[in-house]
Amino acid sequence: MRSYQSVLILKPDIDEARVDEAVEKISEFIKSNGGACLKIEKWGKKRLAYRVKKNRFGIYLNIYHTLEAAQVADLENKYKLYDLVIKYMVVKLADDELERALDKENKVIDGEDEEGKDKDKNKDKDKDKDKGEEDS
Amino acid sequence: MPETKKRSFFSNKICRFCNDDQSKVFIDFFDVKAMKPLISERGKIVPSRISGNCAKCQRILTRAIKKARNIALLPFAVEH
Repeated sequence: MRSYQSVLILKPDIDEARVDEAVEKISEFIKSNGGACLKIEKWGKKRLAYRVKKNRFGIYLNIYHTLEAAQVADLENKYKLYDLVIKYMVVKLADDELERALDKENKVIDGEDEEGKDKDKNKDKDKDKDKGEEDS
Repeated sequence: MPETKKRSFFSNKICRFCNDDQSKVFIDFFDVKAMKPLISERGKIVPSRISGNCAKCQRILTRAIKKARNIALLPFAVEH
């Protein structure tokens, strides 16, 4: 049994009830292939970086699950045939990555502000660099 | 004078992912916020000689960015 992470993009024009329906159906896919859902995240509607099947937006789902290695191709095939899914990706997770993902929930809230501050600092650095280049 | 300027340009090489306690570095491919400043306007990956990241973190970052591109979180190329 291996742990995986599935990221799915659903069609943007469906309402929340249908999203929940889709979540249920997808978790059923995983269970029927002998896996178990560990964590399901809904990232909500997001702008896509490029058009996917003529859609500019998509509803993101993120599922951490376990699965037998031989069943992955079968699961991907089911994603492909499900008409609400416009794009999917199944990523293999190492044990430490999975642990980190599962106890992330409380860490994200604590760490977010600090990350923001760091980024501002980095931006300033970049600006300084640009100036240096212009001068030279 | 030009020498000192050059030195200041190369001196601030601080990796922005390495942490002080030498623990393993993780960069999630869905952490777009962390990766955005390391992507050029055209969607290219900023080289480590510009960003100052260490080689190890740059490899991890590259993998993360390439995964993010596959699932439409980051662009392959920005059209103009």
